[in-house]
Amino acid sequence: MSDTVLWLIPLAPLVAAVLIALLGPKFLREQSHLPCVLALLVSFASSLMLLCHFVPAGFGEHGHDHALLSTGYDFLTVGSFTSQIRLSADAMTAIMLSMVTGVSSLVALFASGYMHGDKGYARFFAEVSLFVFSMCVLVLADNFVMLFVGWELVGLCSYLLIGFWFQKPSAAAAAKKAFVVNRIGDFGLLLGIFLIWTTFGSVSFADVLGHPERITEIAAGNPGLMTAICLLLFLGAVGKSAQFPLHVWLPDAMEGPTPVSALIHAATMVTAGVYLVARCTPLFLAAPDAQVTVAAIGGITALLAACMALTQNDLKRVLAYSTVSQLAYLFMGLGAAAGLESATPAVSAAMFHLFTHAFFKALLFLAAGSVMHAMGDVIDMRRFSGLRKVLPMTHWTFLCGALALAGFPLLSGFWSKDEILGVLSEASHHHRHGGLFVVLYWTASVTALLTAFYTFRAYFMTFWGPEKFPEEAGDHPHDATAVMAWPLRILAVCAVGIGAVVGPTGLFGDYLHHTIGMPASDGHHMHLDVMVISALIGLAGIGLAWFCYVKSPSIPGKLAGSLQPLYALSLNKFFLDEVYLLCLVMPLRGVSRVAAYLDSQVLTRIVDGVGRIPGLLSQAPRFLQNGLVPAYGLVMLLGVVAGMLFAISYLK
Amino acid sequence: MTGDIERTLAVAAGLFILGAIGFLTRRNLILIFLSAELMMHGVGLTFVTFGRMHFSNEGQVMNVMSLTVAACEAGLALALILALFQVSRSLDVELWTDLREEDLPNPVSADELTSVVPATAPEFPKLTPAGRAPVLPKRQVVIKRNSSPKT
Repeated sequence: MSDTVLWLIPLAPLVAAVLIALLGPKFLREQSHLPCVLALLVSFASSLMLLCHFVPAGFGEHGHDHALLSTGYDFLTVGSFTSQIRLSADAMTAIMLSMVTGVSSLVALFASGYMHGDKGYARFFAEVSLFVFSMCVLVLADNFVMLFVGWELVGLCSYLLIGFWFQKPSAAAAAKKAFVVNRIGDFGLLLGIFLIWTTFGSVSFADVLGHPERITEIAAGNPGLMTAICLLLFLGAVGKSAQFPLHVWLPDAMEGPTPVSALIHAATMVTAGVYLVARCTPLFLAAPDAQVTVAAIGGITALLAACMALTQNDLKRVLAYSTVSQLAYLFMGLGAAAGLESATPAVSAAMFHLFTHAFFKALLFLAAGSVMHAMGDVIDMRRFSGLRKVLPMTHWTFLCGALALAGFPLLSGFWSKDEILGVLSEASHHHRHGGLFVVLYWTASVTALLTAFYTFRAYFMTFWGPEKFPEEAGDHPHDATAVMAWPLRILAVCAVGIGAVVGPTGLFGDYLHHTIGMPASDGHHMHLDVMVISALIGLAGIGLAWFCYVKSPSIPGKLAGSLQPLYALSLNKFFLDEVYLLCLVMPLRGVSRVAAYLDSQVLTRIVDGVGRIPGLLSQAPRFLQNGLVPAYGLVMLLGVVAGMLFAISYLK
Repeated sequence: MTGDIERTLAVAAGLFILGAIGFLTRRNLILIFLSAELMMHGVGLTFVTFGRMHFSNEGQVMNVMSLTVAACEAGLALALILALFQVSRSLDVELWTDLREEDLPNPVSADELTSVVPATAPEFPKLTPAGRAPVLPKRQVVIKRNSSPKT
């Protein structure tokens, strides 16, 4: 495994980004997607090589835990603090990279059809390439500072791509909102990194995470410190992964082009928070309070987002809330480590769900994009229905994704969701936190029911019922073209099959625990009881949706009428945006008005006043400037004489 | 020897002071210019004297150089005087007080002037405007003047 392959993963997309940015608008034009797709495929191939490199010789043994390192150069040296540009790869990195580059290759391919004819075609692919580069930097980082650089870069790309159609005020506002909300999380992450530096004297993963006994020692000496570090890191994750209370930006991010929603706001960037928490597992192990917080926040967000998704009429927004809810699932899984003997099953479950979720959620978004493409950019589900005859390919692939998300038995979502539910139910036997995890287990189950229900609500509303098109669609809506269809097909196959391949065989868990700082585990468990229950729950949700939206479509309306306040609560996202507007945005706006007034009325006047002083002082000698040459001569002569006298007195 | 030097320096200082007095009191442009030359030659004489005092030729070299410069300067100055004369038909220096602060009154009253400016003013060559007119930012600094325009 040479360094070249390792460096190729982030650098190929970067080169593509620069190339497209420089040449795109003038020379590449409609071919701008070529460098992007090519670079992403190169990255994907390199990631697969990396993945194979980490398949340990004795599969299932613990102990091949050395990461692959490759140093670039010193990025920052201040006193004893050194931060290097250094790539580090281990099992977790390899999985993340394969997923990121694989999904992004497919999404880029899809986008070359979807974005066809857009004015910003070249800009789009330059930004997507830049995003993949940033994500690879984030994942391949060897230390917290480089991770932070990648973290901010993906945030920037997300901002650029949400605001891709910046002429639309709503898109510009959504981009700004995403950026500002993310800043809050980033601030926490930055403080966490500072604290890690003062505590451990290093920011490198190997130094900080690689010595569990040292972490235990520090945590025993000062448990509050470790909890603070973990909570600050988690604050960063809450921002990036859109967890309550910072989840508000993700649904608005749907203003961006649909491939971007699929890639950044469903499959890759939003999982960065989960990756961070999973990466820092050794730290979190020493801070059970922080882990419990992670799990609790996950539980709250999962249920809240699922409830919001129930009543949304915008297909992409349903998927957005579903993403928030599923990310919360991952955090519940990570937090469950607090109630387990070993953290590995919990992290493995979360990373497994992250992995499968990336495929089926990207698939759902791309299928939604295909619907949008056919319907003339209309995404309101009330305006179209019965599309399964018109868009057969989109229909089948969407169905695959929806079944996987709903946890239909034997599809990928089923296996990974089962693992999370499994670790939650195991954690509920814990002597100290057991009670909380019982609650979380049932929360997760209810969420699973709601997930199945709202996913199939969207499915039935879009693809079943009487055939109806909005007038924007034209007379004859057409199904996805080949370049859009193939990514959908490939993703559908992954969504259906990938869970069954790597889940029940234990391949995933065995592979993942060859990660630095991951404690040994006693192996893989199947939870048959949990499996049966979750399968039943999933089927019940699907059945309920079928009953409400196909069998007797009058029920939802009546239900909404009789439960008016609850319905309004869900439709308006629990009025959280309004609460934030009232409690945060408006006071801040008031403060900034006062500041602007002080600046323009008080400070400016003071500065202007100071500027006027020299003018006033020079009023006095003005009469000397009378324009007569002899007068100037006299003043000059007097000046020379004065200078001479001064010089003479100085000489003496 | 010392006496000679002091006497020569005294002559130089006398030349300089006479020139200075002439420069300050004369109104004729050519005489003012001649007075300035006189001052310069006073200084040149001190150069030569001090060179002599130190038994070196550098003072003389310096003086010859300044004479050369003075020759060029005389050409320039006379050309300027000629140009001024062509505008005003007069050599009076007090006609030219336009460099004063703009709201100050003219220190020379009209009846003091020796001659009246004739109406025929020659045309001055004008530069063709080139480049773009500067675009000023919206917020301009406005300097307020609290006095009346030039009388």
